[in-house]
Amino acid sequence: MTRKKNIQEIATVTEPVIIGEATSENSLRRNLEEIKTYDGVIGYILRNSTTAAIDLKDPAKIVDYAILSSSAFDASKELSELFELGNTKNMLVEGKDAKALSVVIGENEISVFMEKNADHRKVLKRLNIS
Amino acid sequence: MDNEVYSFALKIALNEIQNMCPDIKSTFIFKEDGEIVATDEKTPENTVIKVLNAFDRMFEKSDTIGDIEAITFENGKGRVSVSCISDLYFVTVTSEKTDMNYVNTVTRVLLPTVFKLLEKINPASLKNNTISSTGPETRPEFQVFDKNERSALGKEEHAAEEPREPAFEPETNPNLLPEPTASQFIVENIGGLLVPSDTVRIDKELILQWAEVCEGKKIEEVEIETFGGKTTRCKIKPIKDSKYEGKGIVQMPEKIQFTLEIKKGELVKLKPVVE
Repeated sequence: MTRKKNIQEIATVTEPVIIGEATSENSLRRNLEEIKTYDGVIGYILRNSTTAAIDLKDPAKIVDYAILSSSAFDASKELSELFELGNTKNMLVEGKDAKALSVVIGENEISVFMEKNADHRKVLKRLNIS
Repeated sequence: MDNEVYSFALKIALNEIQNMCPDIKSTFIFKEDGEIVATDEKTPENTVIKVLNAFDRMFEKSDTIGDIEAITFENGKGRVSVSCISDLYFVTVTSEKTDMNYVNTVTRVLLPTVFKLLEKINPASLKNNTISSTGPETRPEFQVFDKNERSALGKEEHAAEEPREPAFEPETNPNLLPEPTASQFIVENIGGLLVPSDTVRIDKELILQWAEVCEGKKIEEVEIETFGGKTTRCKIKPIKDSKYEGKGIVQMPEKIQFTLEIKKGELVKLKPVVE
């Protein structure tokens, strides 16, 4: 039996979508779809002010991953204020089993989850040229 | 060798790291449960507590990826690195110009060496919760500041550079507490359906300590004062959640925070009301 792709998406667009932004977001999503095929990549969370897209191999952990992702962004903002570090560029949370690379691109907050040995630099490089 | 000496040794190590790498803004060491093990002399303790509060939720959810081994925050004007060494978390805050290869080389050699040395001197010390002057035994005492030393939040940074022993004396020497003194606490949210809006929660031990100082009188209310000068009086109860115990925290309903115009993470002074 083939399983459906586990994509959960919430979209609450209240204003007309600007073509430029949509294109940029679409290209970001294309990149994320490509990144998802990289060795060891577990999935990603993409969020901005209007939409959120979650694509993870293990749907049971979606909430945990989402909380970890948002708490990493929150922590980064608090640290930035505390030590005057400027805007968040990226952050890497490495655990014993897996790691999460989070990046801010424009208004988009992206977290890519991957296995411990996955190449996060390759992911970062792909995201930064999106 | 007692715990203060260990703390002192680690503090010296952190200060030496800063001397070798002047671009480092701040360094400190903490344990996974949030206990501060050692800080460098430049970093105020309340700053460290704010950082730990910022990490709190992340560490709570860290089992999703296995226990956290390292975190790196890269921002436009600097970076925060957290690395796990011998079950302790070592934090460095650096500016954008810092040569991270050099910093990593220094820290990854110096700190493990100091840890190994301390473990050899007394193997139990690093595993115990009593390693430093800001460890679990002494962290609650962080609340009992001498008014003259830390009368305002703005003065705390200078206070951090002073020897900490005077701040700890009140609890070890009862003669210095002739009457209940005002203590400083970090505000933490308290939520839930059945939470009374007129009650804050603090360490049970402190309530008992106040009662003792007041010759056994039951302390049921406290006066809360913010550094902005706002005050209010409310009931107190002991903290229920063990993760907030002994950390200098006052759990406060949003209504009281709103009244005092403060929020989570800010410092307030609490003084028991004796009637």
